[in-house]
Amino acid sequence: MGLPRSFKRALWVFHVATGSCNGCDIEIVAALTPRYDVERFGIMLTGTPRHADVLLVTGTVTKPMLPRLKRIYEQTPDPKAVVVVGGCGASSGVFYESYNVAGPIDEVIPVDVYVPGCPPRPEAIIDGVVKAVTKLETLEGSGVKSG
Amino acid sequence: MNGITSGFGAWNPIAWTLLFLGILIVAFFVRSFGRKDYKRGTGQTKAFLSGNEEPAAPAGLHVSGDNLYWGMVHGLSAYYRRVREWHTGDLGDYVGWFIGVLALIFVIIVWGG
Repeated sequence: MGLPRSFKRALWVFHVATGSCNGCDIEIVAALTPRYDVERFGIMLTGTPRHADVLLVTGTVTKPMLPRLKRIYEQTPDPKAVVVVGGCGASSGVFYESYNVAGPIDEVIPVDVYVPGCPPRPEAIIDGVVKAVTKLETLEGSGVKSG
Repeated sequence: MNGITSGFGAWNPIAWTLLFLGILIVAFFVRSFGRKDYKRGTGQTKAFLSGNEEPAAPAGLHVSGDNLYWGMVHGLSAYYRRVREWHTGDLGDYVGWFIGVLALIFVIIVWGG
């Protein structure tokens, strides 16, 4: 079974900020600007995880965002990939063991790709999303069914 | 096809049925582009409320049709307030209004005629 039709046409990405300082979020927005223009590759931000193929998660997971991140992950249809953007999401960064932090993202949901940086450049974010697609294609090729 | 044609338009049930069938086919065609691989009974089929939990509806909650007209009732609230005052619930009052309006119409007809 190959990739779903919608997947071959375009890659829809849902952006979740679980407690970031907005640095990574601004770089994600920069990737959408005419300078980088990811939409020319069919990559576009969507307003709901129910339409998304990839979750782009920024920031360490604060305690109020913990159940919300889990819920958003559950609401994303399979096959899906999770890309963590920035150092805080990967390791909690400067917020490590802070009183209001539940932990890095991979302690809450499974992560496929890490994009390090504080914040990472838009090129790195685009590269991370492309790696996520490659991973999904590999999963599909090895017989992991969608749905 | 037989139909009714007048100066105000045309009516033909077969043509309308065919039109509705055409619209239905187009609607199903567009719908077929949608994803079919959502897992039922999981979060994938629940409403997305910015990650928040969907609040459970209180027991016995019934949203009545009045809610559709809320804007109109609110917009005409001054009128409704006045009209409600006249609704005393006394049948004698209603008959009195009936006779009064009837008399007024009678006077207008006689005066105008």
